[in-house]
Amino acid sequence: MHAFHVHYRNTQGTLMRILNAISRRGVEMPYVQAEPHGYNHRVSLLLELNTKQIGQLFRDWHAIVDVVEVRAGAPTEDMMELAESWDAARHPPASAGAGGSARAAMA
Amino acid sequence: MLRGAEIVLQCLRAEGVDLVFGYPGGAIMPLYDALEGSGIKHVLTRHEQGAVFAAEGLARVSGKVGVAFATSGPGATNLVTGIADAKMDSVPLVCITGQVRSALIGTDAFQETDVFGMTLALTKWSRLVKSIEEIPAVIAEGFHWARSGRPGPVMIDIPTDMLKAKMEFSGPVKFTPHAKPADVHGESTFAETLITLLEQAKKPVALVGAGVKLSGAVAELRRLLDYLQVPAFATVHGLGAIPPETPYYLGMVGMHGTRAANMALHENDLLLVFGARLDDRVTGDPTRFAPHARIVHFEIDPAQLDRVRPCELPIIGDLAETIPTCHNALRQVKLPDWSDWRAVACGPERAELDPRGLAQPTIRFLDELFSRLPENSVILADVGQHQMWAAQRYRSSLPRGFITSGGLGSMGFALPAAIGVQLAKPDATVLCVSGDGGFQMNIQELATVHRLGLPIKMVIIDNKYLGMVRQWQQLFYQRNYAETDLSDNPDFVAISKAYKIHGQRISEAVVREFPVSQETGDELDRFLNSSEPELLVFDTHPEANVFPMVPAGAALSEMMFEEE
Repeated sequence: MHAFHVHYRNTQGTLMRILNAISRRGVEMPYVQAEPHGYNHRVSLLLELNTKQIGQLFRDWHAIVDVVEVRAGAPTEDMMELAESWDAARHPPASAGAGGSARAAMA
Repeated sequence: MLRGAEIVLQCLRAEGVDLVFGYPGGAIMPLYDALEGSGIKHVLTRHEQGAVFAAEGLARVSGKVGVAFATSGPGATNLVTGIADAKMDSVPLVCITGQVRSALIGTDAFQETDVFGMTLALTKWSRLVKSIEEIPAVIAEGFHWARSGRPGPVMIDIPTDMLKAKMEFSGPVKFTPHAKPADVHGESTFAETLITLLEQAKKPVALVGAGVKLSGAVAELRRLLDYLQVPAFATVHGLGAIPPETPYYLGMVGMHGTRAANMALHENDLLLVFGARLDDRVTGDPTRFAPHARIVHFEIDPAQLDRVRPCELPIIGDLAETIPTCHNALRQVKLPDWSDWRAVACGPERAELDPRGLAQPTIRFLDELFSRLPENSVILADVGQHQMWAAQRYRSSLPRGFITSGGLGSMGFALPAAIGVQLAKPDATVLCVSGDGGFQMNIQELATVHRLGLPIKMVIIDNKYLGMVRQWQQLFYQRNYAETDLSDNPDFVAISKAYKIHGQRISEAVVREFPVSQETGDELDRFLNSSEPELLVFDTHPEANVFPMVPAGAALSEMMFEEE
């Protein structure tokens, strides 16, 4: 897992453009936190990427008009913990039982 | 007090806009209502995709920002392909859409779509206007981003109540961008490093892309290459940047590039890239791309660097500045003599083969047409086999003289784009080459051509197939021509007549004799010199193929020259 901190001006759509650069590659985002940071905003991300994807994402993020800075770093414990809990519960909840009981629940 | 719509138009005028393309509808009606007397001419296309491609055509040929209007909902969604096209090919474009009134946004109102959200991945910058007061600043900023750095598309979505509202307007504003640390790039000694790399190189080459034209650096590039005398070639968007008669010029590179260009790109040990993003149609298999090359990349957009593999020397900045800087530095040193390498790369063994096979008549036909064009002509190619034949045979040194949808490969692009080109260059001969498939994708724009009386010369290379797909089906899918047969095409000449445009059909038999007969030559001259729009349908063999061809996933050195 790699941690990234993308600093941006919080203008319309900028956070979505940052996230879209990730989602268009089919990369999952187990940890995303966006918050005010100094004069700007910062989104912290935990992503499982290969070297090529890291390069691509850095370039794509830098090209977004209101992105100010991109930093990489080691994931913090908090990030990892939250990411792991997400990983354990990532699938949508299924019906408690199959067949008749599920139909009964729907009814 | 001015209405929001009037403010929009005044801001557009302040950005130098005097011509827009569009299609009215409910949410954008206030803007159309304010058009008269605004100083802006509006061209009504017959589909929003026609409008956005026409705006692209104007932008591509002139370097100005193209502007397209559309209404909310389907009007806005119909712009999306053009926006994606402009993103891929770095075209400065501003799309202005009407949106349902503010109170209805998010309610799935009639003709409401989230065009702002929908185009986030395709635009360089976009805004949903939230108050009338924002309008001047939003338009100024939108135009700034559309034309600055690597140009691209901008979307501005304006709720209809903002267009109707009134406010005191003190005039258009200027936008000043924030500086960002990412804009500062080190490597102040790049000229020194470049000299070292050139001194070590045994087989240097130059690859020229669209960025050279977008930066207005064609003259600077030509001077530098004349000094270096290294084998050089161009991407499809770089065509025209190097005069074709230049002795070290090898033609177009890539999937359907020349043998000489692809071999030189494969074999070089120093690749100078000028304003090209090295996409897969240029590199072939990226893992086997230019295996011995060190890469020097002149580029305005850092996002384009290191896409295939890390470059040795990134030279980031406007090519109109970085190329002369390098040229000045290189003039101070004695560079190696690369004449042996040049002799191999540009030698007769790698020269273009005469056209062979079923495509020969089409190639001759294009040669005949192109050779009869005046110097200031602009050729547009749609997407498919005819596009590659046209690119291969293009022989002009006019930098913005060959226009096509390269990155996105949008069929249906050429006809509406030709409208924008002809309006931007009223004195130029505009030749629009399409296939029978692509022509039908925006055939309704014949009405726009007729209404404006634009003397566009339209050619359909009619093979009664979706030819490029069929070619791949033939070569890689055992001739399973699944859903590419267009043998039931309509009568294009009759259609043009219905649009009150003169049309005629010729068969490839007329170009089998070489040179063509006096009669055929006269007919082609009449077609090109007519002051009216003209359509010429050229019947070609259904199984004519484009060669050379680098199959998908192959290295550039693995070209096919005929069916195997």
